[in-house]
Amino acid sequence: MGNVMLEVNHLKTKYITRFHEDVYAVDDVSLKIEEGKSLGIAGESGCGKSTLALSLIGYYFAPLHYISGDIIIDGVKISDMKPDEVRKNVLGNEVAYIPQAAMNALNPTMKIIRFIEDVMKAHNIKMTKKEIYDMARERFADLGLPEEVLNKHAVELSGGMKQRTVIAISTILSPKVLIADEPSSALDVTSQKMVIRMMRELMEKGYIKSMIFITHELPLLYNVTDDIMVMYAGQIVERGTAKEMVFDPIHPYSKGLMGSIIVPESGVREHKLTAIPGTPPNLKNPPKGCRFAERCRYATPTCSAMAPEIKEFDNGRTYRCLMSVRKIREVYENGTEPGNETESE
Amino acid sequence: MKGYKKYYGQKLFWYLLTLIFAVILNFVLPRLMPGNPVSALAARAVGGMTDSRAIEKVINDYIQKFGIDKPIYQQFFMWLGNVLKGDFGVSFSQYPRPVSDIIHSAVWWTVALQLPAILVGWILGNLLGAVAAYIRGIFDKAILPIFLFASNIPAFGMATFLLFIFAIKLGVAPASGGYGYDLIPNFSWTFAKSVISHYQLPFWSIVLITIGGQAVGMRSMSIYELNADYVKYARFLGIKDSTIVGYVFRNAMLPQITGLALSLGTMIGGALVAEIIFSYPGLGTTLLTAVTGQDYPLLSASTLIITIMVLIANLVVELLYGVIDPRVKANQQD
Repeated sequence: MGNVMLEVNHLKTKYITRFHEDVYAVDDVSLKIEEGKSLGIAGESGCGKSTLALSLIGYYFAPLHYISGDIIIDGVKISDMKPDEVRKNVLGNEVAYIPQAAMNALNPTMKIIRFIEDVMKAHNIKMTKKEIYDMARERFADLGLPEEVLNKHAVELSGGMKQRTVIAISTILSPKVLIADEPSSALDVTSQKMVIRMMRELMEKGYIKSMIFITHELPLLYNVTDDIMVMYAGQIVERGTAKEMVFDPIHPYSKGLMGSIIVPESGVREHKLTAIPGTPPNLKNPPKGCRFAERCRYATPTCSAMAPEIKEFDNGRTYRCLMSVRKIREVYENGTEPGNETESE
Repeated sequence: MKGYKKYYGQKLFWYLLTLIFAVILNFVLPRLMPGNPVSALAARAVGGMTDSRAIEKVINDYIQKFGIDKPIYQQFFMWLGNVLKGDFGVSFSQYPRPVSDIIHSAVWWTVALQLPAILVGWILGNLLGAVAAYIRGIFDKAILPIFLFASNIPAFGMATFLLFIFAIKLGVAPASGGYGYDLIPNFSWTFAKSVISHYQLPFWSIVLITIGGQAVGMRSMSIYELNADYVKYARFLGIKDSTIVGYVFRNAMLPQITGLALSLGTMIGGALVAEIIFSYPGLGTTLLTAVTGQDYPLLSASTLIITIMVLIANLVVELLYGVIDPRVKANQQD
């Protein structure tokens, strides 16, 4: 068991809208990542993945607000710090975040190296320009990026190159946790592969100690991360190893998510693509019971009345459903609707 | 470097073309004015003469001297040849003073007044716009709207207003001229002081109407840039707000530079009017006397000099833009 790099306990955050309504976008999320491990977070759009990412890095600027819970990064509790303090002391050197729109993340009128200098300056690293350049060149070379990039402006780089440059800049201070929010979603397949390879290299070479990879593409996670977590309506509905999650999903939502993926392999034409009916609930007034109940094929009246707790079974795999694993497997095999009785362990 | 060559080459080509058209229009337009200025001039010279043959001779002499008996295209090439030699002919209204002499004494007053005034107005406007976008509060809600209001006052209105308040009611600044009418231009301290005090009202009347328009553009550009993804990304990397504001200001300034180039012509037009109100000894006032005196050569020369000044200023701004915005270079290489 390695050191715990990131530990989150019962984190709750909300957005306050312009009309002063509260939207609970992250509701009771707990997770733990050890050194050298990576975690994928999947879910459909609007389920709170990106909000979770911002919440994890302590980026609490309006309209996002912290409610309760702990965020501990390598033993340091950042949830007690003020957002400005977090930004000054934690962001960039302890935790790196790659935003969803990494394509436009670079200042168009600035040379890459100037920006790296500013990052160094922001974290009070005393290095001459020459030292920074040499360090950046070495790191770029190690990650397979050409040295010329340093002296170019963002507009002179291709999309894939921009994305990889952003990743290299984000991790230049060797953070303990890297949180990447859809880093490859806007790229073509070739560039996607290069980005994924780069993320793996960062881990292998020890430039980052742990990683959270957020995406809506479940199969991508299978190739990248050790564990996968599925999010629905601001909550974690299931967590397991990548293999378990892809081949043996427990929660009906995870199963639905897997079923709705187009896999360009043999038999895809025969395999019926299933979509999950309906839309996620409005988080302004989340449902009283299970948040997925309304869209769940296997839901019973109890589901809408009683909120399921996170349940853990063999070797740390967790899920949030009122049915027992045995029951769920039975239901999946028979394809029948369950009876009225639900078990809660 | 190749990208720059193409960019500069294209720019120079278009400016040259504009210049050629400007030169032609400059020559033709004043000559389309009704009335015959030479006969008016000759009439003054023959005042009191009674011999009709002698009068006719004088008039013919004038016509030949000014060359208006020749076809217009011939007049144009003669004029162009002279202009290239720096000879704009002789003024009709201030006969026999050469036009180049009049222009020479006026042009520096205009350059010294308008260049600083427009630049100061532009810089203050951009600062106000950036502050209104970033700090908001009173800057956004009160100061910017006031300057926006001021910028919509026509140039002559603002000039008259300042003249009325500061020169007539308060008496703190002289009402007209470039220096005290009792002084002869020299390098003495008294003369310099007089020039500076005469400079204030025309200068501020131009600055005040420039600020608002620039500020409102800068404000929206800054707001746009403040919400850009690169600002968020810089924040995620822990970069200080003061550094980020620097990025934003620089990027928001770039379109403002193009804006300056675009509005330069209008600005100078307005500023010329301000000169007239204050009887400032610059090109604006010269232009007015040329128009009222049907003085083609002076009119052509004044407008030509103004056109050339605007073109040069525009060209400088655009060439500068190519250097400071790397996107220009990147686009040209595609």
